[in-house]
Amino acid sequence: MEALSNQILVAVTFTFLAASVLYLCHWAFKSKAFGWAASGVTWAALAALTLAIILRWVASHQMGIGHAPFSNLFESLVFFAWTIAAIYLIIELSTWMRTIGSFAVPLAFLSMLYALTLDPAIKPLLPALKSNWLIAHVITCFLGYAGFAVSAALGAMYLATGQSKDPASPRALVLDNLIYQTVVVGFILLTAGIVTGSIWANSAWGTYWSWDPKETWSLITWLVYASLLHSRFMRGWQGKRMAVFSLVGFGCVLFTYFGVNLLLSGLHSYATGK
Amino acid sequence: MSQDQPRKPMAERIWDFFASVKLSFFLLLLLAVMSIAGTLIPQKEGAAAYVRAYGEAGWRLISAIGLNDLYHAPWFVLIMALLAANLVICSINRLSLTTRILGKDPVAEAGSMRKPKESFTLSGEPASNLDKARQVLERLVGASAQAQDQGRTVLFAQRGGWSRFGVYVVHTSVLVIMAGALVGNFWGYGGYVNIPVGSTVDHIILDNGQARPLGFSLHLDKFNVAFYPNGMPSEYRSEVTFLEGGKPVQKSTLIVNDPAEYKGIDFYQSSYGNDLKTVEVDLIRPDGAKQRLTLEARKINELPGGAKAAIQGWRERVQMGAMYDGPVARILYQEAKGEPQAYTAFKPGVKMPQSGPLKFEIVKVQTEAYSGLQVKYDPGVWFIWVGCTLMVIGFFIAFYFSHRKVWLRLSPAGQGRTKLEIAGATNKNRQGLARLITRLSHELGGGPKKAE
Repeated sequence: MEALSNQILVAVTFTFLAASVLYLCHWAFKSKAFGWAASGVTWAALAALTLAIILRWVASHQMGIGHAPFSNLFESLVFFAWTIAAIYLIIELSTWMRTIGSFAVPLAFLSMLYALTLDPAIKPLLPALKSNWLIAHVITCFLGYAGFAVSAALGAMYLATGQSKDPASPRALVLDNLIYQTVVVGFILLTAGIVTGSIWANSAWGTYWSWDPKETWSLITWLVYASLLHSRFMRGWQGKRMAVFSLVGFGCVLFTYFGVNLLLSGLHSYATGK
Repeated sequence: MSQDQPRKPMAERIWDFFASVKLSFFLLLLLAVMSIAGTLIPQKEGAAAYVRAYGEAGWRLISAIGLNDLYHAPWFVLIMALLAANLVICSINRLSLTTRILGKDPVAEAGSMRKPKESFTLSGEPASNLDKARQVLERLVGASAQAQDQGRTVLFAQRGGWSRFGVYVVHTSVLVIMAGALVGNFWGYGGYVNIPVGSTVDHIILDNGQARPLGFSLHLDKFNVAFYPNGMPSEYRSEVTFLEGGKPVQKSTLIVNDPAEYKGIDFYQSSYGNDLKTVEVDLIRPDGAKQRLTLEARKINELPGGAKAAIQGWRERVQMGAMYDGPVARILYQEAKGEPQAYTAFKPGVKMPQSGPLKFEIVKVQTEAYSGLQVKYDPGVWFIWVGCTLMVIGFFIAFYFSHRKVWLRLSPAGQGRTKLEIAGATNKNRQGLARLITRLSHELGGGPKKAE
């Protein structure tokens, strides 16, 4: 069952690639057929990905080390791809602006591609990860990250499609509002993620905040998005500035997610038991 | 002429400075940049580590600015205090504006209608359409007020004014969290205690290295590590008993992620290991005479003949290339009439340099398993949880509710018909307002218009 789940994950990765290409064709050729095909393929990928995650969960229970599949980088990347695809498809259903797919779906593909380079073996949970807060923490954080990822995709689209030339056009206004909405979703979920993380840290390590690099970078990300929201509310920043800000914010998200583990490791270890 | 204007008084200028959004911006981003520095420079390491990485001069600079413990440096705390002051003053300034907006007389507001977004005509005189218009407005928006304007009737209603307080809920939550951190800093403490299996402790070691009596004692009944079939540890478990005056009062099981609490103090499973209990050594004098000694750890051992010895340090295994591989103990030894002298003891049969006239050889080492517990008392932690909850609630209010105002104007359109115009205003979510206006127009008999 674990093997089946892994095979589906490989297939899903290339399905996301196919969907990305179809969305790009739709954008380049302004063809409705490509658009419908892209949406269909993305829905299929999301369904298969959901199935693979459930199979992985069941497989871990069959192995006697049952745990939710959110426990390491591999599993988080898979879930990240799932959340990006899900949030994007919700936006597609409410706006029917399929051009966004050309920017959002490749992010799901890249996340899956990175996952494929890692060891997919299902491993038992470290004692420190045995907590009900694991699920709440990972789900809130990754939905938040995905919200920011989609807002960055929208920001990139805003800039790439030259909306800043006519920021008052209906299309530019819709995009601007979507950037704002996705940032708000991301911001609330990131806050919830930091809160659940600190509740968890408080029960695992006896301190709700220890200025560990991961924590600190999540706070930095939070501060950057808090500035973005204040600039919009208090200074009326819109359009191009929102688009650029959403890209900068997503840079912080990426560093929190990957950079801390890759570049700042060695300063702190999450393992307990010394 | 403007030169004649008196400068604002000092207090007012300070107030204005703290009330500016530019300052909030600057402080938020400064906090972010400084935090980045704290993740790039290793924190709370020993001086030697900094000298190695940054050189002598670098270390002097780092320690002078406090970059080695950046998040607790006075200037970092000052930035947070400034942010708190900025938050409070901004909020007070805006609060008076908010109460003024919410305290506006609805009839006066009815008289200051915005530019209409929708306009259509209905059959019947304005007077005959007024009741239905009011009903629909009150059902979809809220209580209405009415004003007359040159023979035209304006109805006004608003909804969600309370949501303007969402931002203050968020700002308050930040202050509550900061207060919780302060309370924890001033009245809380943290430390650890290592308890050998079967032993009792009555004090802990604080983070600053000092001992602190608990006021009760703690006995480790049992410690166990469980493993997965693949050899990975699956659980660390300490079974402890809390004692008052030597009498057991509470039994608790500690595992990682599941601490035990007694009298408001929390105990967390944090580490485990083997600690030295006793070392048996042979003391060899220059003339070759041997004396077997059993030295207990963590105490001064009184030896026969009036000599004293203590174990200063111990390593279970030290590897020195081809020279040595085995246990090492640092022993402080003092003859009945003499000065204390430090010796290093190795296993027998190896040639190692001697630091004095005597030689010590390790014969037998006895260790005991201990469980390492993190200990914490933090009366501020409830502030944190209250603050976090307030913040999330505040976000929902601030982001997902808006203060909407709607005006309906009924004016005679000739031939016994009524011209109905709809205007609206909102502090955010224009799309939501547009949908509301479309719905109003639909229910009031305006043509079915498609929303864009």
